This record gives sequence, C-alpha cells and structure tokens, in this order.
Amino acid sequence: MRLGWKFELLGLLLFALAWVAVTHLFFSQPQHAHFKGFLPGPTLAALGDAFQSSRFWLSVFASLKRIIIGIFLAALMGLPLGILIGFFPLLRGLSYSAIQFVRMISPLSWMPIALLIFTTFESAVYFLIVMATICPIILNTAMGVTSINSQWIKMALNQGANNTQLIRTIVIPHSVPHMITSLRLALGVAWIVLVPAEFLGVSSGLGYLINDARDTMEYDRLMAMIIAIGILGFVLDRMFQKLQQMFSWS
Amino acid sequence: MTFLHSRRHFIKTTAAAAGAAVCRSLSFPGRVLSAQEPLKLGYLPITDATPLLVAYELGYFAHEGLTVERPVMVRSWKILTESFLAGKFNLTHMLFPIPVWMRFKQKIPVKVLAWDHTNGSAVTVRGDSKINTFKDLGGTQVAVPSWYSMHNLIMQLGLTTQGLTPVIRPQSAALAPHEVNLFILPPPDMPAALLGRKINAFIVADPFNALAQEKFKARIMRYSGDIWKNHPCCVIVTHDRLIQHRPAMVQKAVNAIVRAQTWCKANPRETAHLLSRDGAGYLPLPETVLNRVFTPPDAEELVHPHWDVARIGFQPFPFPSATRFIVDQMKQTRVEGDTAFLADLDAGRATQQLVDDTFVRQALDEMGGLATFGHSNLEKPFTREESVEIN
Repeated sequence: MRLGWKFELLGLLLFALAWVAVTHLFFSQPQHAHFKGFLPGPTLAALGDAFQSSRFWLSVFASLKRIIIGIFLAALMGLPLGILIGFFPLLRGLSYSAIQFVRMISPLSWMPIALLIFTTFESAVYFLIVMATICPIILNTAMGVTSINSQWIKMALNQGANNTQLIRTIVIPHSVPHMITSLRLALGVAWIVLVPAEFLGVSSGLGYLINDARDTMEYDRLMAMIIAIGILGFVLDRMFQKLQQMFSWS
Repeated sequence: MTFLHSRRHFIKTTAAAAGAAVCRSLSFPGRVLSAQEPLKLGYLPITDATPLLVAYELGYFAHEGLTVERPVMVRSWKILTESFLAGKFNLTHMLFPIPVWMRFKQKIPVKVLAWDHTNGSAVTVRGDSKINTFKDLGGTQVAVPSWYSMHNLIMQLGLTTQGLTPVIRPQSAALAPHEVNLFILPPPDMPAALLGRKINAFIVADPFNALAQEKFKARIMRYSGDIWKNHPCCVIVTHDRLIQHRPAMVQKAVNAIVRAQTWCKANPRETAHLLSRDGAGYLPLPETVLNRVFTPPDAEELVHPHWDVARIGFQPFPFPSATRFIVDQMKQTRVEGDTAFLADLDAGRATQQLVDDTFVRQALDEMGGLATFGHSNLEKPFTREESVEIN
C-alpha cells in the first residue's frame, strides 16, 4: 500500500517536530545547558559546517564503502545459503539451531576474534558487518523460498524437473523480492554496528566522527553525524526499494 | 585488501595462534623472518600517548633508521591490548598495571621498556561539589577507567589511607558513610556522567579532566602527581620476541622516544598544538583543552606545591622502587575478577621479570643521563625515593 510522497514528507515533518519538542523539553533547561548541542539549531549549524569539510566527505565515503563491501560479502555467502536452506528441509533442520544461536549474539562480541584473525583493521570492520548482516539475509531468503506455492513445484516435478532446474526456474526468481528485502534489513543492521566497529584502528568514517564528538563533548557535531547517517540510510534504502519494485512480479 | 587474501591469512594466523597457544607464547614465526619489520605503534586518544606521537611526528623514529607506520588510534584499552596480542602493534603505551596483569596473570611475554610519562591524571569533581579531600568521598560513586589501572590503584590508596572502604557494588545498592562505590566507565563518558550527576567524582587520564574543566568548569580535587610525586602512569610496552630478535630496533625506538620526551619537556605549548586537531590531529581535541594539560597547575590547586610537579611530566627511567610499590599496591587494590596471581607475586622478582631497562639506560647515556630530566642523585643515579602523601 503506497500513499505517496506527501504522507512520507508529513511523517518526516512530524518526526522533526518531535525532535524539536523533546530536545527543547530536556536540553533547554539551565541544568542541561551543556547538552544543548542536541537542539536542532546547533545541530544544523554543525551539519552545515560538516558539509564544507573534506574530512566529512572522506568519512562518508569510508563508511559507505565499509557498508557496501560488508553487505556484499554477506550477500555473497548468505543468499546462496538462504536458497539452499529454504529448499532442502534436511539442511533447514540442520542449520536451524545454529543460525538461531549465532543470530542472538551481539556482533561486537566478535571484536577480539576479528582483531586476531584479520590482518588489517579495515578487514576486521568488514568482518563485523558480515557477522551482523548475514543472519537476516539467510533467514529472509530462506523464508522467501519456503513461501513458494507448492503447486508450482508439484507441477514442475510432474514434468520431470530436477532440483537444479527447480532452483533456477522457480525458486530463485520467486525469491528475488525476498532477497532484496533481506538486503534492506541488512542495511539497517550494518549501520548499527558501524559506529562501534569504527572504535577499531581506522582513521575515518561517520562512526569515527561520532566517537570523536563524544571524546570532546561536542554534541552538536555528534547530532549532525546522526542526521547524516539518517540521510544516507534513507537514500540507500530508497535505492533498494526501487530495485525491489523492478523485481516484484507478483 | 581482497577477500581471498584475508581468508588465506585467516588460515595462516589461526594456525599460528593455535601453535602459540601450545607453547604459551604469542610468537608469529612468519613475521620474525621479514627483513625489515616496521615499527607498529598503537595509541589511545589521551595525552598519555604524547611521546610516541611526538617521536613519530618529528621524524625521530625515521631519523634512527626505523621503518615506521603512522601510529594507529583505537578507542579502548581492551582493543589496544587485543590488537597488541594479535600483532597489529609491536610497541604501545599501556597503564602500568596492564602489563603486570598480562605478564603474570595471562602469562603473555611482554616487557616494559621505559616510562612513557609521569603524572598526567587527576580526580575531578563538579565545580559546585563540596568534595575537597579523599575523606569527603565517603558514601559517593566514583568512576575509574579500568580495574587494572593506575587510577584505580591511586584512588583506593587515597580512600583507604583516609579510613574509607572501597566497594564494588551495583550503583543502586545502599552505601554506608565510610564506603565508596567504584565502577568502570569508559573515559569519554566520564565528564558527561559527572555533569549529569550520575557520579560524584572520577579519576582518569587527561585530557578528560581538562575537558571537564573547559566545558563545564569542573574542579580538580587532586592531581595524581600531587598524591604520588612524579608517579609512572603509562609505560612503553613491547613483546619479548622483539627484544630477542630485534634488539637494535628496540634500542632505536627507545632512543627516539627518550628524545621526544626531552622535546615535550622543553616545548609544552608546541606539543599541545602538534597533538591537537588544530595541529597534526593525533587527538580529536582542540588546542585550548590540551594547553591546560601542558601548563603547570596553579599553586593553590596543589597540596604539595613544593614538589614542583608538572600536570603531565616526562621522564623515561623505570625506577624499580616505583614498580615494586605498584605491585605491592596492586595486591591491596580491589578489582573484579580473579586476583589469585597477585598473592604470591614477589614485587622484587616481578620487577626484574617485567622491566627491561637496558635500552633506556643506553639511550639516557647517549643523551646526557638522567640529569636531562631534572633527576640528580650523584651516588646512585638510577634510584629514587618514592614520595606518597595523601590528604
């Protein structure tokens, strides 16, 4: 159901209004004067400053690169796994408990392992993003596969199709919208782990700038980076949404 | 960095790590053989890292003929120690109790080469707080950066000398008037927690004290150097492996660090500028905050103005008396976790096993001895008396 851009804009305006109201309620009191960086005025000013600094754009580029490479690697492993797990009940049974087990672990608990087994800090960050995003990708893809109308499969089997043919002609085309949904979910999770992942020895990134702002109690800058991440996330999600529309043949 | 490459490395390093686990040492044979091992420096965004950063920025490492990469900043002691163990760094600064814990609890072969700096920390309270002495801390919540830190050690020393009992409890638990609840807080969160009245005081390295002073007029209750005169805080740490296989490299690195320390001592203003984001950008802070750290405290802020201590000082020689004092003090310091390893740790033996001062002696010899750092004891130049006084 799509109500159009007017409602989305209205939603965004309401959200901004809530931000203004809540921050004014809390941070304009004299005892919280030092946190007034969270207010819209200072935040937007800091965002304007950031737009003019090359450091900010380098960080945007660095973070985007990490997100995209991380999700790409997770998709490379997760999508085929999801198809197989969805298609073969035996595999589904075997993997179920393991996936549920891994899914609940905060990806950041992998940090020491990431540091030990990967040569560069950059690859450790990719690893953390992969660990965070691979489970939603596998689960959603597998769910897409299991939701296939069983009549189609029966029909194809009656006409002598083998597993490879089933997967290629029915399972994959049917699951594409689910795969894209899984990537959209992964995108959200990837941004969540990016900020703490950039605690590691990297020297740029929006998460890195948020950490810098915390180290220096510059909350206007912190809030500006939050807004920047929000905008980027929104744009990326919109791109995936368009992609999804192209492939939604149901 | 391609994925394939990192996978191959995965296999290589897990194999190495498995081997290391067996012989209880973290040596990476593949890396020892490389002809020119670069110096890999790690640091936290605190002024404790100063000598390493200055030595790099002024080209002292390169001048000694070392291949060196730009120091890499990480954001917590955990990440720093884990990266050091994983071989991402081969020379870093660490709070003195951390290598003690690594060497004697975790049995990781690390060595302390020199003191990185002296003093450099403080107990900070709100500007409107009535806490003026350790005695006033009874019944309050105090944040420390890590259980194995100089800060926890000095805080508990201060509390117990004043007849108070440090405890480790949930923040909601009731406290008797003579009890002080200690807990861990990441240093960047300390000023905000103090401002938001979640804690009554914190003890941590600069620049977080200076930041709290600058941002909301917090007050320094006591400089750490005003409690224990010119105490060590962060030390320079490396692997035994590097000392055994590349002693010349270690010597050059220590030379560069000692040289950087003399420069920092002579040029506090320039040091502040260089580290700040207005200079070479090693720390995210503006110059104004760092200038506070590199400016001597006012006499009225000090209990022992005659000690004439700097807010952060630089002196490389690891006086054994101080190491022994730390090990002895650690035995009495409350921490969370198993401390059985401390019980039968002899302070004298621990000092011998942990500290290797041959390199720093050599470096000092070449640079005019300890007198360069204002220490003169003609009879026994490499000894001193520890002055600790709590008020």
